[in-house]
Amino acid sequence: MSDSGPVRLLLVDDEASLREPLADYLARQGFVVRQAEDAAKARAALAEEAPDLVLLDIMMPGEDGLSLCRHLAEARDLPVIMLTARGEPTDRIVGLEIGADDYVVKPFEPRELVARIRSVLRRAAKAAPSASEEDAQYEFEGWQLDPLKRRLVDPEGTVVPISSAEYRLLMAFLTHPRQVLDRDRLLDMVQGREAHLFDRAVDNQVSRLRRKIEVDSRDPRLIQTVWGGGYRLAADVRRIAPGK
Amino acid sequence: MKAAAFPRLLPRSLLGQMLLAVALALLVAQGISAALQFRAAEQRREMIAANQLAFQLVADPRFDFRPIGSRMGDDRRKWRRLRVERTPHNPLMPGEQRDARREELLRAILVEQGIEPAELVVTKRRAADDPYVMGRSATGQWREVPQWVEGDLLLAALRREGGTQFTVARVPLSTREPRQLGELIAQTALLYIILVGGLAVLLQRITRPLAALTKRVETFAETRAVDGQLDPSGPEDMRRLIVAHNAMEGRIAALLDEKDVMLGAIGHDLKTPLAALRVRIESVEDPAEREKMARTIEDITRSLDDILTLARVGRPSDPRERTDLGALLASVVEEYEDMGEPVTLEDGPRVAAPLRATWLRRALRNLIENALRYGEQARVSLERDGAEAVIRIEDNGPGIPPEEIGAMLEPFARGESSRNRVTGGAGLGLTLARAIAEQHGGRLVLANRTDADGRIAGLVAELRLPLA
Repeated sequence: MSDSGPVRLLLVDDEASLREPLADYLARQGFVVRQAEDAAKARAALAEEAPDLVLLDIMMPGEDGLSLCRHLAEARDLPVIMLTARGEPTDRIVGLEIGADDYVVKPFEPRELVARIRSVLRRAAKAAPSASEEDAQYEFEGWQLDPLKRRLVDPEGTVVPISSAEYRLLMAFLTHPRQVLDRDRLLDMVQGREAHLFDRAVDNQVSRLRRKIEVDSRDPRLIQTVWGGGYRLAADVRRIAPGK
Repeated sequence: MKAAAFPRLLPRSLLGQMLLAVALALLVAQGISAALQFRAAEQRREMIAANQLAFQLVADPRFDFRPIGSRMGDDRRKWRRLRVERTPHNPLMPGEQRDARREELLRAILVEQGIEPAELVVTKRRAADDPYVMGRSATGQWREVPQWVEGDLLLAALRREGGTQFTVARVPLSTREPRQLGELIAQTALLYIILVGGLAVLLQRITRPLAALTKRVETFAETRAVDGQLDPSGPEDMRRLIVAHNAMEGRIAALLDEKDVMLGAIGHDLKTPLAALRVRIESVEDPAEREKMARTIEDITRSLDDILTLARVGRPSDPRERTDLGALLASVVEEYEDMGEPVTLEDGPRVAAPLRATWLRRALRNLIENALRYGEQARVSLERDGAEAVIRIEDNGPGIPPEEIGAMLEPFARGESSRNRVTGGAGLGLTLARAIAEQHGGRLVLANRTDADGRIAGLVAELRLPLA
């Protein structure tokens, strides 16, 4: 969002049957959309004018989407949402690892795509951390959270599955350790594409998260309730570079 | 019954069975050989006894028993010869049997020596019953009483043509030497060790690659990946088997790869137009109509996903990770809670198991959706049962007629009562849940839940997963 003008998108997909109606739909939603049918055309379009965000199909003839995505993330620092027909979790991780900001599985709900575009742009607008910093793992009280894989591991090495709302809530705590976060603040940080959380919903999410990470969820030690205020992570957080 | 009990004692491995067979064959062969040797020794003994009797009868020696006095320490007490007795009476005692066979043997020897016996009597008696031996023994002429006095002796009485007196010769029957049996056993044991040792070495050359191949087949059955194939080893036959097996593995893996590529292509080629369709229906004016279209596309997508997932379930690309099962259940149940669906999770113990979380989530969703579709609500619980984690999903539906439970797990099966398009789905839900349970080394058990009156109150789906 360079100026406050309309958001400019570059849509890269070899399938005209999808690309054209999707471009029309996005245009109706107020985006300025340019299209490219392969990686070469996409590079040409990028050279001409940089968009605010790239929508990129993974499987394309010629240079594939992953390779182009790597180039975009490394050289251009452009937000990228991958479009793919395959829904395997490994695909998602590969896509995110090489620098895609989000990942949408075909067939997607067009409204959901729009929500994700806005969400990615919102995140990109905030001070964008460098890729390596984003990959760094969080460690607290023996627990580890891998933000890339959204993988939480307890002190014994057991994976503890968490929902995306819980992930965002935990990230909010981990990025603000020992600070009191009130409900409004948490709501603001946690609000994702699918979350239209009410005030009580924050409490609900906190209690869900507590059930998973507290030894005794009725006597929470890690996520403490602050009377009249909100919640606080009572632990020190360390960042560890990936692969360590 | 015997057949059932007996094989349990038999060795099961190739090596054990071969060694047992060899041992048995060796035992039979050694038994026959021992019997033959024993018979030969018996004949030799008879011949020696007959010759000794003949010699005494012919040569009529005048010396008596005495120790041989040689260097052979053990033989000192051995009997050597007994003085020949002359008597006018037939020495056969009342009740004694003549030994016709030995008489025949002795007569032949004597005839060969030019003696034509007028009367020849051979009998066997206990040395202790023999008056002559006991008489000699009583005189004290023998420095020591020979051992054979304890045993039997052969007695031969000869009356020559024209003579009136009997010449009586006595030969003690040597007791069978126990040495023979011991020797035989030692010999058998030695043979057995040599043969079995050699055989074991040979068999190991076969069984080691065979064991490796077995392990390899097991690994391949699980991973269906060609890395870690065996190098051919062992005898030629084994090598050929391993080479053939490797070729087959390669072929299977290639087929599976082809299948994956094909599925990827199907997925791509169907999902892209579906995505296009999904985008296009956004321009449909009537919201109700648009909603219906969107629902249809969702149904097609779900069926497609089920089919693709079922086709991939045997060859997961992700490893198992030790995962908190309670947290996994909670995160699945919470999705439904957030959508306002009547799904509840009961408090349970903390259970961790090696899982593929994405797959298991799918199985759980299928089971929960099944419960919601047919049974109005779903109650999910988790418990530990021995070495298994048991995830239970209960509903309040009509259950499944017991005879149809097995068929429900087959692909594309749906309860007869609900075979309509409203509920949607390709009917792969339970099949997929079962396949995912099996992918984890567990199983899916379906059973009807009955109330206090014994009526069916709902269905219980149990997902049993091994903890290690």
